[in-house]
Amino acid sequence: MLRLLKYGFIEGYAEPRYFNTPESMNETYDVVIIGAGGHGLACAYYLAKDHGVTNVAVLEKGYIGGGNTGRNTTIVRSNYLTEEGVKFYDASLTLFESLSEELDFNIFYSERGHYTLAHSDATLRTARWRAEVNKHYGVESEVVGPEEIARACPELDLSCGGNHEILGALYHAPGAVARHDAVAWGYARRASEAGVSIFQGTEVTAIELDSSGVETVVTNRGRVKTRKVLSAVAGHTPSVLTMVGLSSPIEIFPLQACVTEPIKPWLDTIMVSGSLHLYVSQSSRGEMVMGASVDPIEVHSQRSTFEFVSDICDQMLDLFPFLAGVKINRQWAGMADMTPDFAPIMGTTLVNGFYLDAGWGTWGFKATPICGRTMAATVVNDRNHELITAFNLSRFENYQLVGEKGAAAVGH
Amino acid sequence: MKFIDCPIIGVRPHTEFSISGVVDVEPEEIIDLTPAAWTFDRNSVPIERVEQWYHLPTQLWFDVTRNTGTDEISLVAIKGEENE
Repeated sequence: MLRLLKYGFIEGYAEPRYFNTPESMNETYDVVIIGAGGHGLACAYYLAKDHGVTNVAVLEKGYIGGGNTGRNTTIVRSNYLTEEGVKFYDASLTLFESLSEELDFNIFYSERGHYTLAHSDATLRTARWRAEVNKHYGVESEVVGPEEIARACPELDLSCGGNHEILGALYHAPGAVARHDAVAWGYARRASEAGVSIFQGTEVTAIELDSSGVETVVTNRGRVKTRKVLSAVAGHTPSVLTMVGLSSPIEIFPLQACVTEPIKPWLDTIMVSGSLHLYVSQSSRGEMVMGASVDPIEVHSQRSTFEFVSDICDQMLDLFPFLAGVKINRQWAGMADMTPDFAPIMGTTLVNGFYLDAGWGTWGFKATPICGRTMAATVVNDRNHELITAFNLSRFENYQLVGEKGAAAVGH
Repeated sequence: MKFIDCPIIGVRPHTEFSISGVVDVEPEEIIDLTPAAWTFDRNSVPIERVEQWYHLPTQLWFDVTRNTGTDEISLVAIKGEENE
């Protein structure tokens, strides 16, 4: 108490703010990033760190990490189905593993092991396919039987109430969870230290073009001249694309999640069931973090519904009947920008100086570090980074879709 | 739970419906669009639009006018019929 009083009177004792916001915006920036979520802030950080570009403004309509960065279920994994997907997400996982040291900021990265449960022969077949693709690219992944699942998680009802018996699972040992807010805060802090300006409560209302491409970004706080703009706005991507006259196949669907009240630690793995449209892990606070597939209807708001909670609890009790007495504490939703092939849309566009990091649907958090790094390189060199060439917006007009549906979502 | 007041069948919970997307007016001919743009491109911004909803228990199709920003339904009509 006395210590508190003492330090209360010492000016400048308190920890510095996580990031500084300059009083006013400059007239010109080398790069303007729209959206201060994990992806936008990571890009700002790698622009400064890898390329020495620090005259950067990150504009955020709300507050940092307040969109899908703070609304996901924090799972990090790389057991994808296509070559492009596996290489990309594995590079992200490698960055995640050392991110706490790199940012000198604890992101509570915790390797749990990730089980994708198979309730049918068809799912098991896809699991084998994914395991073989993963092993080929050096990603730890294997198909396991019911005995191994029972050993890893004795609480699981393998018969699923007699309705959809569990036949096996795709086991991915490096599967992990991380504190999602900390990822945004960590990147914001280090980017800000390097000289990047972060402006919260700053909404982009228009983007003006001239004959050589992007010229001015118009915000509710004034006009900013820049030749390079990166859009990293998840659920608002179609609105930003309209500002520069581009169109895309992105459709916005709400993705919902919820947590239970905190209970004693019992689940140290991540359990996913595609058939039951459910993924669950236990947070470091003891809450069961549960998510499902996207809502079946296009909605541009972060509203959450009663049906979601009642459906997910129904499925959850098939897997873990003993949780029947546990209460749901909170529920929320984010706006997911879904693409037809369940792969992101990244890189250069037809508009000179306008770059896109979008189409992150329900799979964006795990890609945060590698998105930042590859988009920073793309923006600086004005050429797509080799890891993201397959994800360019032009793939649709060329009919070169990536086909990641089997591994990216639970709703299929 | 959200309930929807429909012609003929009355007030129904929205979970009884399967939603199959926007009612697209097919262009007479594709002039400025490439076939790929016609296939893939969407304009997914908040807007009021007409969607086709299928009511599973009665097998009736409805034209539902809904605002995709607020999720509010302003008009429900039997498919192909004017609402009274």
